[in-house]
Amino acid sequence: MATGFFTDATLCIGCKACEVACKQWNELPSDGFEFTGNSYDNTSQLSGTTWRHVDFVERESFDESGLKTSWSMVSDVCKHCTNAGCLEACPTGAIVRNEFGSVFVQPDICNGCGYCVVSCPFGVIDLIEAVGRGDDAKKYGLATLHDDRLNDRKTAVQATGGVAGKCSLCFDRQRVGMVPACAKACPTESIQFGEIEELHERAKRRVETLQERGVEARLYGADDIGGGIGALNAFFLLTESPEAYNLPVEPVLPSTRQTMGYAAAAAAALTLATIGWAIFRGDS
Amino acid sequence: MKSYYDRPLLKGPHWGANVVTYLFLGGIMGGLGLISLLSDDRPEPAMKKLRKATRYTAFALAAINPPILISHLGRPERFLNMLRIVKFKSPMSLGVWGLVLYSGAAGANALRELADDGIVPSALRYVAPSATVPIQALLGAFMAGYTGVLISATAIPLWGTGKRHIPAFSVCSGAASASALATLLSTLQGNHEVIPRLERLEMAASALEIVTIADFRKRGGRATAPLFEGRVGKRLRDYTILGGIVVPFVLNAVGGAVRLPKSIDALRSIAASMLTLIGGYVLRESLIEAGKLSANDPQAAFRQPS
Repeated sequence: MATGFFTDATLCIGCKACEVACKQWNELPSDGFEFTGNSYDNTSQLSGTTWRHVDFVERESFDESGLKTSWSMVSDVCKHCTNAGCLEACPTGAIVRNEFGSVFVQPDICNGCGYCVVSCPFGVIDLIEAVGRGDDAKKYGLATLHDDRLNDRKTAVQATGGVAGKCSLCFDRQRVGMVPACAKACPTESIQFGEIEELHERAKRRVETLQERGVEARLYGADDIGGGIGALNAFFLLTESPEAYNLPVEPVLPSTRQTMGYAAAAAAALTLATIGWAIFRGDS
Repeated sequence: MKSYYDRPLLKGPHWGANVVTYLFLGGIMGGLGLISLLSDDRPEPAMKKLRKATRYTAFALAAINPPILISHLGRPERFLNMLRIVKFKSPMSLGVWGLVLYSGAAGANALRELADDGIVPSALRYVAPSATVPIQALLGAFMAGYTGVLISATAIPLWGTGKRHIPAFSVCSGAASASALATLLSTLQGNHEVIPRLERLEMAASALEIVTIADFRKRGGRATAPLFEGRVGKRLRDYTILGGIVVPFVLNAVGGAVRLPKSIDALRSIAASMLTLIGGYVLRESLIEAGKLSANDPQAAFRQPS
């Protein structure tokens, strides 16, 4: 039985309790602090050490009373794709699908090659650059980075290598029957956790209710999203088009591009081998 | 056009000079496998010399490529993590196995040459059957090709758009660079007889390469802009297209058509080879750097071509 998240933009109040709960439970280090000027979003993106990220979409409209601004917020997370680009790309088998149908990174097997990073069509998974020294790193179960590399942050990944990080759908909590930290902390039940089929039922009912009230609500990732990716175990209810929340409209599963690539390489190699044969051995 | 504060949708590659070098050498290893096959089992002493040079060089490159990969991963034992699994859907996984098998075949061929040269006991040549020559060539074609598939089978818009072109011109670039390297080695050895043939092979590979790159540029649209425009585009144009393909092609054509004095011809040949090698490296480097820029363009990433 696969479990997942149903995240509802119409219920999100942008409190970021999910971000905080996730950081606390998963012992994820700080990403620093920076005012972006992009509404109240100072987290900016999902990363190796940020597994929930609240999008703040500002909408402006004019009516008789003047300029009106309204927000649409939604908490973004790893989609735990049916066919996951990161999982397929991982050369070590560190990224696996666990018994809850979630895509899980085993940090002790990850070798930090970074191929999953460029294979995620949603830009979710990333390498964790520096997570602390010595005992701190061990506490997180992550690669220990040399002190001199930590002092020279820009080469930490390239020279010493971290490991990849992303939402585990709270694998550890699920195993003991607990709800993932973000869903537990969400005060409005914008983040709902449960079995996928049940969440689909709930989501469809929610969309119907909202549409009756005149809200333009749509589901993202509840059904096959196309491009070979399939449905998403973490799907969303949105009120704007996906791009407004930095979600792709037509993502593609990278491995579907392989066959054509090998065929083109083989064609080029065969052509050059034939020409080479004529040049080197044409006279024999 | 809608976006989320123009924030990048995707994460770019964390890859630097060591990965570029790994891909570049992978391409050369592929080309050397072909030249080793083409010069195999020929009676001429010049061909025999070329054969030995390519086999020793291929083995040397096969030996230094894993340490380069390890310099990217951080710790040597991390390389072994890739040997716990074979995954057909991951070009990275298949590529590592390709490298391991190629090293075996290249090692067998180098061992046979060592036995032939009397450096190791001649009985050892029977340890390495001659079937490893075509096997090394086949695995070499895979090595040169997978370095392109590795890049193109990703979510980066520039790379994914090039799912046909990038693997094809990676193979061509690898063959051209390997011919250039073999030309350099032959010049150093004074083995001038084989150079015209190597230069013709290099010209054929470069011609196919530039046609493929031009077609990629023409068909790519917005997604390929990071590779052909701006700082990366200028570098690619100067070092790969002009310096690495056009100029060496002209130099090689002149060498084939005009009989130059020996010393000038050697200089011409060395210059053409060096330029081709630099161009091959910059091609891989530009692909990686442009991939980083491509990842930052959310509009190219929202809707991807299959």
